[in-house]
Amino acid sequence: MSRPAPTLARLERILTMVPWLLTNPGVSVEEVGERFGVSREELADDLDILGYCGLPGYGGGDLVEAWLVGDRVTVRMADFFSRPLRLSLREAVTMLLAARALGSVEGLADSDALRRAVDKLQALLGGDGARVAVDLSAPGDELLGVLRRAVEDGEVVRLVYRSASKAQTTERNVEPWAVVGSGGSWYLQGWCRLATAPRDFRLDRIRSLEPTGERVTSQRDAGTPPVYQPSPDDVEVVLDLAPSAAWVAEWLVIDEVGTHNGVRRVRLRTANLDWVARLVVRLGGAASVVTPAALTNRAVKLATATLRRYQRSGNGK
Amino acid sequence: MTERLERLINLVIALRETRRPMPAEQIRQRVAGYGQPDADAFRRMFERDKADLRDLGVPIETTPLDRWDDRQGYRIDPRRYDLPPMHLEPDELGALALALQATGMVDEAGTGLLKLRVDAGDPAVGPAAPDPGLGIALDAPYRDVLVAAQLSRTAVRFSYRAADQPLDREPAVRTVDPHALVHRRGRWYLVGRDHNRDERRAFRLDRIDGKVRTVGDPGSFAAPDDDAGVDDVVPGKPGDAPATAEVLASPEVAWQVARRARGGGLAADGGWTRFTVSAGDPNAFALWALEFGPELEVVGPPELRTAVVARLRGLVEGAT
Repeated sequence: MSRPAPTLARLERILTMVPWLLTNPGVSVEEVGERFGVSREELADDLDILGYCGLPGYGGGDLVEAWLVGDRVTVRMADFFSRPLRLSLREAVTMLLAARALGSVEGLADSDALRRAVDKLQALLGGDGARVAVDLSAPGDELLGVLRRAVEDGEVVRLVYRSASKAQTTERNVEPWAVVGSGGSWYLQGWCRLATAPRDFRLDRIRSLEPTGERVTSQRDAGTPPVYQPSPDDVEVVLDLAPSAAWVAEWLVIDEVGTHNGVRRVRLRTANLDWVARLVVRLGGAASVVTPAALTNRAVKLATATLRRYQRSGNGK
Repeated sequence: MTERLERLINLVIALRETRRPMPAEQIRQRVAGYGQPDADAFRRMFERDKADLRDLGVPIETTPLDRWDDRQGYRIDPRRYDLPPMHLEPDELGALALALQATGMVDEAGTGLLKLRVDAGDPAVGPAAPDPGLGIALDAPYRDVLVAAQLSRTAVRFSYRAADQPLDREPAVRTVDPHALVHRRGRWYLVGRDHNRDERRAFRLDRIDGKVRTVGDPGSFAAPDDDAGVDDVVPGKPGDAPATAEVLASPEVAWQVARRARGGGLAADGGWTRFTVSAGDPNAFALWALEFGPELEVVGPPELRTAVVARLRGLVEGAT
């Protein structure tokens, strides 16, 4: 659901702010601004509007009294707004979801506080409460606690990392910016001093991890999109997917999905053919490479090398 | 839009404070801002205001005027309007603020959090840090309508596109008693009883096509007595698969395999290590095993080993 229109957002703010103003007569404009995120002008406007509101009849004694005198705010005669409006279903469910998510993995937040908050939200929703389960557990999540602390403290970490694309294990120092959970995996985002570039590291590929005591000096790129950034050097790949491999189209960042002779055909761009070759091998015959030929070669080479291992051990049938 | 804001506030006050439900005509005559000369213009204005207020969660009820008069009137029950005392502790508010930040849902529930802070007495706790260094992608489409239907026990209907369905075929219409929403392995599922099949199923929310509508009356099914069944219908729960497989891992990847095996490992020839790992879904297992290429070998059971070899052969032979 989208954000409420400005008038409605303002109405929500007023309905939330008035209960507090009623119990805190004479607070300063600054205090109100801090708590409710309003400027002096906005607050003056809100109070002005409130002064025209009240019980039908709208005579003396019916209207809300709202003043801004000097720096001080006072609202009276608005007992009907002595409590905030009940949480909307959307608000309650959204908070519940977010709390369940954060609480599902150790080391991310104060899980005891989250659990208590969830219980209170469930009681508000009534009945048996909303049945919403979030499970963010994924391989490597035991590193989350250490990484969260490193991010918070701004401390460089030393990783032994096995890269997905190159099938190589390397040691590198990384300036941690954030831990991100997306698509069923956890990633560390940061500045990689080995690559001298921003990089994402999947947690289950981190073999070991230790804090270095060094401080982070880089700034997180604002709005770094997780996991994949297209670049002009990317190679275009076209794959045909049999029904048993159709799910792949939903996991990858795909430019285009179509059908060709009744088979699902996807088009994507990648900076790294090794990674796609590995995917093609994993899918066996269910994915076939249309272009480029170099991808076919790599996939076959990898499959042949793997097959050799089975043949050597005797029964590679 | 000052005029409209004023009118909305006055409507909330009037409906909240009225002793008897107010018929529309009375609202037009008595509530400031509604004194339209044109009856149709009033109707449109009132309908829109009512819908928007309800959308914010203002509980406007439509009820007969009284026992002797069955004309419809409107009112707001103060007990349903007022946020009941929630008494969240500062650490609970802080944790919720972080949760909304991390999941990118401040826009959708920030006002809700503010309400809870006002309820707690002093909303002085500022907003959480703009960048908590934590990001969780959690977008759950249809969550409002599905949770509302689950709470009121109302069936839902939607068009659904199965994974293996040809793209040119129309999606099938499903009717489901919603039991739970489940997020696992990066995906959202609705778990519920599928009316057509008369059994519990999981539906991926991102495969729902178009709108989700409620059908029939609230209370049309009994709430499931427990969460049992969710694990059966939602795939991918780590570590719950009963079946296992034997694999050999090279020194290069042994540590990674050890994580899936959750410990242990016996030394084998050439510095390799032998592990027992879970292999519930043969398909998922083959995908996992082949990710390691020549660094991992499936030893048994024979059917899994054969399946992996068949994939490799399929690829090599298909390409030549």
